Amino acid sequence: MEGRCAVETWAVGLSGTSCTPRVKFGLGTDVFLCTGSDEVYVFSTEERKLTAVLQFPDPVSDLVGSHDKQLLYVACRSGVYCVSLQFQLSRAPSSPADASSSLAELKIPSEFLVVAEEGVLSVLLVGSVFLTLSQTDTSWMLTLYKSSNYEMLSSFSLPLVSGVERNDTEGTTAMRTRPVLICVHSNDATPPPSSEATLTDDHVRLDPVLFKLLFGVDAALAKSPVILCGLPDGCLCFLPLRLPGSRLRVLHSLEQPVVFVGASVVMERGPGHAQCLVAVGELGKVVLIKTDKGGSEGGGNRTGFIEGCVPGPVMCGCVDKNCLYYSTGSDLLVLDLSEGLSQREGQEKDEETSRKTEAALQSPTSLNVCRVAALAEPRCNTAGEVQLLGLSVRGQLQRITLPAGREDARLSKGPSALVGRSVRDLLSAIGDVCERASVLKTAIKSKNQILRHLNQVLNISFLLKASASSEEHLPIQEKPIRCHGVTSWSRLLQKDSLNLTCVLDNPSPYILERGWTLSIAVFPLSYPPSAGGESSSTNFSFPFHNLHPGETLEVSLPLAAAGEASFPMTVSCSLIFSLTSLLGEEAANLPRLQSRCISLPLNALTVDWLHVLQVNSPTATHKKATSQSNNTIDTVQSFLRSRRVRCSGRGQGGGESASKPEREYSASIRVSSELLRDTLLLKSSDLDTHMPKWPPQNVGLSLLEWMLSEGPGGVTTGHQGDKIALSSSVVHARGPNGHTVKLTAKEVNVEEESAGKEESRTAVEVQVESSSIAAVCGLHHAVLCRVQTLLQRAPEKAASTKGVPSLGLRQVLQRAEHLLQQIQQSRISGAFGVGVSTGQVTRSLLSVYRELRENPLLIV
Amino acid sequence: MSDQMCQPLSLLYRWIQENNELVDKCKQQGGGDALSPDQNKTHLRWCSSEFHKLLKKIQGIPPLADYLQLELTVVYNACLCSTAQSQFSEAELLLTQATERVLQMTGDAPVASDPPVFWRTVLKSVGDTALNPCVLYLLCLQWALWLSTCQLKTIQECQDELFSVFETHSTRVWDEGRSELRGKSSDIPLLVMDPRRLFELLQICTIIAQGAESLSEGRSSQALSGLQTASSLPAPRTLIAYTHLLSGSCLAHMSRPQMALQCYRKALETDSRCVCALYQSMLIYRQLGNTQAEIQALRLLHSTLMLPFATEPALAGTRLLSPSLLLRSQSLSSLLSVPSALSLLHNLALKCVHHGRVSDGVEYYLDLLAVLHSEDQHGLHAEGPPLPSLPELYLQAGAALLMARRPADCMALCDEVITTTLELLPEKVVLEEPEEKCEAETRALCAEGDDRVAMLLWAGAAYLLQGHCHTHLKDWKQAVTHYTRCFNLLVKVRFKKGSFQPQIPSTDMVGKQGTDLCILQRLKGLSLAGRGISFTQTDQLREALRDLQLSMQAFPECVSAGLWCGEVLWRLGRRWEAAACWEKTWSFTPQFSVESLSVYLQEPQSGPLLDSLELRRRIQELGPPLSA
Repeated sequence: MEGRCAVETWAVGLSGTSCTPRVKFGLGTDVFLCTGSDEVYVFSTEERKLTAVLQFPDPVSDLVGSHDKQLLYVACRSGVYCVSLQFQLSRAPSSPADASSSLAELKIPSEFLVVAEEGVLSVLLVGSVFLTLSQTDTSWMLTLYKSSNYEMLSSFSLPLVSGVERNDTEGTTAMRTRPVLICVHSNDATPPPSSEATLTDDHVRLDPVLFKLLFGVDAALAKSPVILCGLPDGCLCFLPLRLPGSRLRVLHSLEQPVVFVGASVVMERGPGHAQCLVAVGELGKVVLIKTDKGGSEGGGNRTGFIEGCVPGPVMCGCVDKNCLYYSTGSDLLVLDLSEGLSQREGQEKDEETSRKTEAALQSPTSLNVCRVAALAEPRCNTAGEVQLLGLSVRGQLQRITLPAGREDARLSKGPSALVGRSVRDLLSAIGDVCERASVLKTAIKSKNQILRHLNQVLNISFLLKASASSEEHLPIQEKPIRCHGVTSWSRLLQKDSLNLTCVLDNPSPYILERGWTLSIAVFPLSYPPSAGGESSSTNFSFPFHNLHPGETLEVSLPLAAAGEASFPMTVSCSLIFSLTSLLGEEAANLPRLQSRCISLPLNALTVDWLHVLQVNSPTATHKKATSQSNNTIDTVQSFLRSRRVRCSGRGQGGGESASKPEREYSASIRVSSELLRDTLLLKSSDLDTHMPKWPPQNVGLSLLEWMLSEGPGGVTTGHQGDKIALSSSVVHARGPNGHTVKLTAKEVNVEEESAGKEESRTAVEVQVESSSIAAVCGLHHAVLCRVQTLLQRAPEKAASTKGVPSLGLRQVLQRAEHLLQQIQQSRISGAFGVGVSTGQVTRSLLSVYRELRENPLLIV
Repeated sequence: MSDQMCQPLSLLYRWIQENNELVDKCKQQGGGDALSPDQNKTHLRWCSSEFHKLLKKIQGIPPLADYLQLELTVVYNACLCSTAQSQFSEAELLLTQATERVLQMTGDAPVASDPPVFWRTVLKSVGDTALNPCVLYLLCLQWALWLSTCQLKTIQECQDELFSVFETHSTRVWDEGRSELRGKSSDIPLLVMDPRRLFELLQICTIIAQGAESLSEGRSSQALSGLQTASSLPAPRTLIAYTHLLSGSCLAHMSRPQMALQCYRKALETDSRCVCALYQSMLIYRQLGNTQAEIQALRLLHSTLMLPFATEPALAGTRLLSPSLLLRSQSLSSLLSVPSALSLLHNLALKCVHHGRVSDGVEYYLDLLAVLHSEDQHGLHAEGPPLPSLPELYLQAGAALLMARRPADCMALCDEVITTTLELLPEKVVLEEPEEKCEAETRALCAEGDDRVAMLLWAGAAYLLQGHCHTHLKDWKQAVTHYTRCFNLLVKVRFKKGSFQPQIPSTDMVGKQGTDLCILQRLKGLSLAGRGISFTQTDQLREALRDLQLSMQAFPECVSAGLWCGEVLWRLGRRWEAAACWEKTWSFTPQFSVESLSVYLQEPQSGPLLDSLELRRRIQELGPPLSA
């Protein structure tokens, strides 16, 4: 029944926690809140609302009020500001709108800067002395100022202890632990007049004996207050304030950042006699420092250190008479200090007791309040209940009322008169648990989301992996997720450029979700000699959001400007998934993850010469001309100019006037027309609409048309305007490097002499002619590739009916052997470098090449 | 076109303008004394960085004769600002770079790193051109850097050169600068600090630093001559006072205290804030045994130190480079150091008490305690010899109060000590006498044990003083109680020497004075003597005799115990024994000087006294001893 407490949320929405937040009681019923941002909030517990917001130029690290509560000292990054609260509030602009809300927003100008010391972490006011604690590279600096005129009195330094164990999980590294600074007075010292009449949580009174033991007789005799610092490097050190020649000395080391230092009564000996100093480390180490009666040798009092450990991490803490309250962030816990200590008192020098003490220190009671980031000192209300003021991680100010029965729970089991009260407690506890549950729920939800996402990713990976391993068996259409492309020429700034539109098709049953990226690598199959043989691969990546089954994604990428690239080009597509996007924000904290991604190759497309030809069909030219005549004269002129330039660039190559210029190179390929008829007709039978357009006798034309309109590997040619209507079986076109090429497809008869009887077959000869050898080679290669795919597509039976042309073979073989000899000869002479110059070698090789190309075999 | 041609010229002009503006700003700020040192520092930092930025711009072009003069001027300014901020390595680097560029311009090869040779080469390579003064200014700065980094040897090596070069060139160089300055000020790059002032400052600071160095090495007469010539140089008052002070110290080392005092007086006359002169004279008086003068000096010193600290008005031209930057040698700072005001006050109080000015001493003690209890922190954290621990101070003050016949106040102070220590007193404690050879080490080791022993001794002494107070008030019963408490505390101490078992300490173990053991025995003796005397007053003669005899065992030199023991014996009718006891007591020569022991450990003067003359008369009446 213990540990259920009422939580009232008073204010919400205070944000920003770069430093440890602070809650402090201030003037009367006011509470000062500082969350690490550059604002300090003043909250009135009486009115239960924020009454003022003080805005400082820099992030606030600590604040302390003067003893008469009139002044507020605020430590910022640039120094310490001193603000008279009353004055500020009275001066605040009170517009009618403000009056209704009565929230004063005050900007504190830099005139209020009183101590220009940079990087002050903690401040404390002791009488007329104002202390600041800051950190340099190698040491801690405790500096004393006169609070009347801020004249520096003295400064003490303590070397920084390095290598302290820290709770280095993400998040806490960003949050600096503020050093704890408190002032300890000896209890028998009479409080100086006019000050410290009421001790705040920064000032504690300690039992005189313990005080003398810890800080020396001198400090006690001088009635000097002692400054106690709990440093983030684990040191607990002290400085007697009013002692000549005193130094900052180390009292104890917690070996973990000190989160809280306070004093607790523990055993009632008199009112307000704190018998015990408590220090709490970030990782949960609790150190109790108390007087040991009758030491082992020679008697007398000695200092006793009791160390225990509670499950950390400890974010903040506070003590009251007997208990240490601390928050781990997920729960608020209370630790009864008196239990352990009183047992120890009973049986001294017993090892068992010390173990018991540790056990007691290890069994804190949960109060079921989560996310408390800062606590003010506990106060008792009139009913005798302990009330804590906490600031939650999300900036909620909460008043936590502990059940009154908790303290006497050992004696009586809660008075029955308080049933109504306990119901309310229960309700508020439920509310608190509910809040916690909702937080957990959203966490689970997001985890589930991630898991589902991951599942999709895995499915797709398996799908693509499987297809990759069996790729060679599957025809192109059966790939689960694939790309196909459309090439098109566009003209921009008088420069022709070739674009490839890549279409990613997702016929799979899985969604490609956020995190996938389509990556396209474009690289030429061979390199022009000018590039020095280096690969000039270009990568494009297109992240996309969701691609549902059946949807397509269309991206467009520039392949090359005219005359720059060398074809054919391979466009290889792959899908990349990065793990960062899967985890979202959480991944930002895991730097190792950021470079992790999965890459799944899709298919590769080939863009060859046929795809990039710009066909000069008379109709197209005409169309273009007429369409442009509507425009202004300027465009016509520019058009004409550009034409002229191109014409002159080509020299006497001429336009499409078919004046038969001298074509130096040509290559030809012969395909049996029967085969073509079969395959092309077979293909056209799929497309019923085109059926009448494919008369059987027009094989050459249809071959050309087919070659120019679509191709293997999923790339099609998207010509401007509608489909090219080829009027004849001669096509004039421009290649990507600007040279004119001529493609001719005509039916020829091939005679074969087989065993005396003459047999003729009809074949389609595709002849490529151009003044550029590169164009001829490229086109020849492209045409061959197309025919190859055509053959693959040819039905089996068609192939079986073919008679093998036997006689022609011998002739061809002879020719080939002759050519081989020629090649070897030139290679030998080239290798030895004698007899022939390189020019000759090239020339002879070229002639071999030409001969090979001009006398093709018949493909059946 | 004309624009382009003029550009290099205008660039030079613009840089000069920029430099001059910066110099103006730098000087302006220095002129306004209203600013806090903090603000001054930030301003200096700003100036320095601006000069550095300008220099970076200028050094972007290759060294040309036209620009070099401007460049060296800016180097001078930047370097001076860096030095003023104690960034010596940065300044050094600037100088090296600048001289390298000079050599590059003149076309001479870089030379050896030996500084004197290096500078000689640079000067020679520059020759008698317009650059000569600029290089000389830089040499001045190099000198300042050597001085600041205490490289007195290097300065010694080229000292003749430094002085002679400046002597021969000086008139021409400075005047040249002046006339040019007067001519067309906008075209001449200005300097942040007049090189002549810098030279003068360096000269006297060098002499002072060297004087301090030779003084610490024992070459007093050598230092003296240099210092005396320096005292007539044009320089700030503070520095002149330093020369007098150092001359005084030299004379003191040469055992001419009176002449030394003269020098110290001159130092004070030159600069009234030269407290170290006052302190040194106090030490001389102490050495001479002139207690009255010593007390006077101490009082003066203390009141001077308590004066509100006035900021030193800087002399024109030396604002940027303060003498303290140039005088950083260890030997000098040890000569100039003065203990804190509190420790002086304690000294003063102690002196007064020891030398019969008890009422003054009491006042000083009370002042001291008041300062310690005040909330005012001023001067509490000054460096210097530490005060004795507070209980010790309380006990001393208490003893002084008792001497001044204020037993009630004394008792209050003792009460304070007792209540503070009582709860911490150990039941038993072992006092380990450290071995002779490794005394220091063991002392550090058993600090905690010492702490407890010290606490016990303080409490004992407090009881003893309270006993004395009651004796003074003739409250014999209370006196006996307190003396008993004291004794009971003291017997808790066991003594352990070497590897022997702890035992009850006895007189013959007392090796040296001032050790805890000595104090313990003395306290025992005094408390037993006090109790014995109290018993005598209440006519408990047997108890009195026992205590007094025990007291003489514990602390044989205790005069009152000896005398009163004789008195008790006399009253018991053992007259011959009494006479012998008295004779023996009179024959004691005090083993320890008065001042070497704490005041509260001395025999009380306030108790019932026996008249020695009366006792001698009694012995004479007794006649010669029977045995004789």
